[in-house]
Amino acid sequence: MEKQLDLLQGTLDMLILKAVSLGPLHGYGVLLRIQQVSKDRLEIQQGSLYPALYRLEHQGWIASEWGESENNRKAKFYRLTAAGKRRLLTEAEKWNRMAEVIAGILGAKREEV
Amino acid sequence: MTGWSRMRSWVSSTLGRSSMESEMDAELRFHVEACVDDLMKQGLSREEALRRARLEFGGMERAKEECREARGVSFLDTFTQDLRYGARTLRKSPGFTIVAVLTLALGIGANTAIFSLVDGILLRPLPYAKPEQLVSVTGTYPKGAFVAMRKQMHTMDVAAYSEDHEFNLTGYGEAVRLPGALVSAELLSMLGAQAELGRTFYPGEDLAGQDGYVVLSHALWQQRFGADPSIIGRAIELEGVSRQVIGVMPADFRFPSAKTQLWLPLHNDPRNTVAYWAGDFMPVIGRLRAQSKMGQARAEIRIFQGEVSKMFPWPMPANWNADVSVVPLRSGMVADVKGRLAMLLGAVALVLLIACANVANLTLSRAATREKEIAIRSALGAVRRRIVTQLLTESVLLASLGGLLGLLFAKGGLWLLKSTLPANMPRLMDVHLDWRVLMFTGVLAILTGFFFGLAPALQSSRVAPAESLKSGGRGAAISVSQRLRSTLVVAEVAFAVMLVLAAGLLIRSFWAISHSNPGFKSVQVVTARITPNESFCNDTARCLAFYRDVLSRVEASPGINGAALVNTLPLGGRVSKRSMDVENHVAAPGEVAPLFWLDVVSPNYFHLMGISLLAGREFDHTDEGANPVAIVTAATARRYWPSESAVGKHMRLNGDKDWRTIVGVIADVRAFDLQKNTPDWIEGTAYVPYTATATLEDRRTPAEMTIAVRTSLDELQVGQTLQRVVSGLNQEVPVSEVRSMQAVVSEAVSTPASTTSLFAVFAGLALVLGLIGIYGVLAFLVSKRTREIGIRVALGARQQDVLWLVLKEGAKFSLTGIALGVAGAAVVARLLSSELYGVSPLDALTYFSVTAVMLVVTLIACYIPTRRAMRVDPLTALRQD
Repeated sequence: MEKQLDLLQGTLDMLILKAVSLGPLHGYGVLLRIQQVSKDRLEIQQGSLYPALYRLEHQGWIASEWGESENNRKAKFYRLTAAGKRRLLTEAEKWNRMAEVIAGILGAKREEV
Repeated sequence: MTGWSRMRSWVSSTLGRSSMESEMDAELRFHVEACVDDLMKQGLSREEALRRARLEFGGMERAKEECREARGVSFLDTFTQDLRYGARTLRKSPGFTIVAVLTLALGIGANTAIFSLVDGILLRPLPYAKPEQLVSVTGTYPKGAFVAMRKQMHTMDVAAYSEDHEFNLTGYGEAVRLPGALVSAELLSMLGAQAELGRTFYPGEDLAGQDGYVVLSHALWQQRFGADPSIIGRAIELEGVSRQVIGVMPADFRFPSAKTQLWLPLHNDPRNTVAYWAGDFMPVIGRLRAQSKMGQARAEIRIFQGEVSKMFPWPMPANWNADVSVVPLRSGMVADVKGRLAMLLGAVALVLLIACANVANLTLSRAATREKEIAIRSALGAVRRRIVTQLLTESVLLASLGGLLGLLFAKGGLWLLKSTLPANMPRLMDVHLDWRVLMFTGVLAILTGFFFGLAPALQSSRVAPAESLKSGGRGAAISVSQRLRSTLVVAEVAFAVMLVLAAGLLIRSFWAISHSNPGFKSVQVVTARITPNESFCNDTARCLAFYRDVLSRVEASPGINGAALVNTLPLGGRVSKRSMDVENHVAAPGEVAPLFWLDVVSPNYFHLMGISLLAGREFDHTDEGANPVAIVTAATARRYWPSESAVGKHMRLNGDKDWRTIVGVIADVRAFDLQKNTPDWIEGTAYVPYTATATLEDRRTPAEMTIAVRTSLDELQVGQTLQRVVSGLNQEVPVSEVRSMQAVVSEAVSTPASTTSLFAVFAGLALVLGLIGIYGVLAFLVSKRTREIGIRVALGARQQDVLWLVLKEGAKFSLTGIALGVAGAAVVARLLSSELYGVSPLDALTYFSVTAVMLVVTLIACYIPTRRAMRVDPLTALRQD
């Protein structure tokens, strides 16, 4: 297994929004989904996951309610709100543009300069 | 993101804080358990899985804290948490808490008490309608000038009043003397005062012939008339004149002073030229009309001043009221006490500063021992801001406790203040603890908490956790905080020195005042006022005969060794003025005759009062005959006849035909107050015998006299004797103000006495707090250096070396503090100069002795810690931790 990457500053919020956009998840589920989709290549500090969830909920981008987990435990599930959907779109757009620009810079060859 | 959802989240989390908290716990527990389940599926044992899951999660408490913060409840949440934590720590160190709370309570209590004075007297709006429109005209005017002003002013309505009048009320029980005021017809309504019963005066009711009315105070109505409402419309007998009662004022109405019991209309009579233009110079107040500004009123009164001087039937001096102006009524009323109150406020502020420094020092000492606790908290993830907030919350809690206790102190202190301060202090009745004062105390307590808490909190939050935990809490931050502590204790000593110096100067000045020679002997003299109606003395012969009978009957009474009469008793609070012509100094036409202080006396007055005769002779009974005489004081003789004897020279009551021969010169008497013989505008003092030709400024023979008796009886017995004698002669003459001459003298110094004793109390407080400060710092120092001292002793240091080691520190604080304090006092003492008499604000003796005393007491404060240091046993000290 290749070495895990540390999460870039400020990207955790976006990843959480993306994770819950695919369907309601509890906190542990969010962690699992990100790891699963990233094929375990991202290192996520579990301790910072919950403050991020609380922050997103406080800002109204995700909403939560209590439900039953797959093994019949009470768990708090998060889902994306309409505002969160818009937020995710703009964030993703921004990220893509940024990635493109940075990739362009890093891929620049001598003759292009 | 919407503001609304944020708000909702904040509100629900604030209100449902505990359910939020348990939900968070459940959520995190679920996370860990789900994680454990997954790990166990991979084949780990439960314990191992639990361990791994916790490790992967990281700091649980820190995550929770961040969650709380993310949710936006942190402020209220952490505040109550801090409060609870603070209360717990304070309870755990009761010694510290008690000392700190007491110290703060003294500081805050003293400030609250003085503030309530300042608030009641200086800040609170006057208790009259629309007080912001009320103004006072600086300068006084006779009736004629006032009437002209009332007619001419457009920017404001004006009203005049004449204070310090007294009226005999007869026919309702024993004849009694009542303080009252003469007011122009519109004064009461201008103040916006409504009568509680009946009405106030209508315009025009202050004209001669239309002024037969009187308004009563609530208190008088209750005490003398049994609160009988049918008193309205009835006639009562005042000074032998029947007046119709038209109204009763409400209980809370006070003007011009709290003692005023009666309001009578002015008696404006243009035909009586002397009374109308010279009789009584009255203060004038006004109410600005709508759209008028103070500045316009000022301009108008200046123009008026230029015109009014020409209206007088005689020329007025050019400088009369030349600097007249219009000021807010409140500042006009309290101008005299402003400076003294500011001084007291400054003094208590210093006391509070010292208390703050003291508690800051205590907190620092405690912080040194709490270093470990703080290090642990910061290692557990508390950020610096969080620790500072927590420590500050603790300080504010401490200060609030101090504030609460301080309120109790203030209540007691205010009661004491009101009984210490001279009763004639304006608006003293308005002073009480109310919500304004409570607000002040609350704000003061919180600020105090911040003030003494901030530096220690910042200081101790700077701890490096690893450092401190390693050193076992023995203090890596001590050396840094030591500088702060030294600064604080030096400041404390300096402030204390300043206050003690101020108190010392005031005490010296008070001593000088009370030991100044008043020019008379007050021992075994009792005085009382005998006040027949003015109308009774219109018949001068009857009046003189009455007094002659009073004197002879009193002198014949048992226990009385002599009696004499005078119209104004020295230090009695009254002024007797009379314009005089002095031989070879007669005023040229167009000039004004000099104003004298004229005492009208019975022949044996000087002898009875122990006033010494310097030249010539005293009065005797032959002086009541055809050759009028006078006696002057030494200062007056020097002023008019600097190089020759005054005896044999002549002077004349202005307006008289006959010259009086000066037959004697007596020593100067402190007639006005103990600092001055007479007010500055009085140019001389003369005595004339009480005969039909002895007239005052109103050209009448004085009707009200003070009797002075030499006796070994007390006031009560003398009062009874006088009452019996006087009422035996005339039922309608009241006897009042029966006081021993010593009481008269001590009342004359009541103002400096109260200021001085208050300063002495504050200085004492400051001194004690300052000493506790020095003691605390040194004791702390010794306890921290026990080990070092032990090593020194083990290496052969002798007792005096240790003594010197500690004493040196103490001496450093005390010497620096004293030096700074003396320097500060030398700058500030100038502010005291108006209160000082017979002593310079830089009086060397005071400065020297205060310095010496402070040196001695601070060294005593160093003694206990020093002794402890000298007894350090090297073995025990080294074995410590």
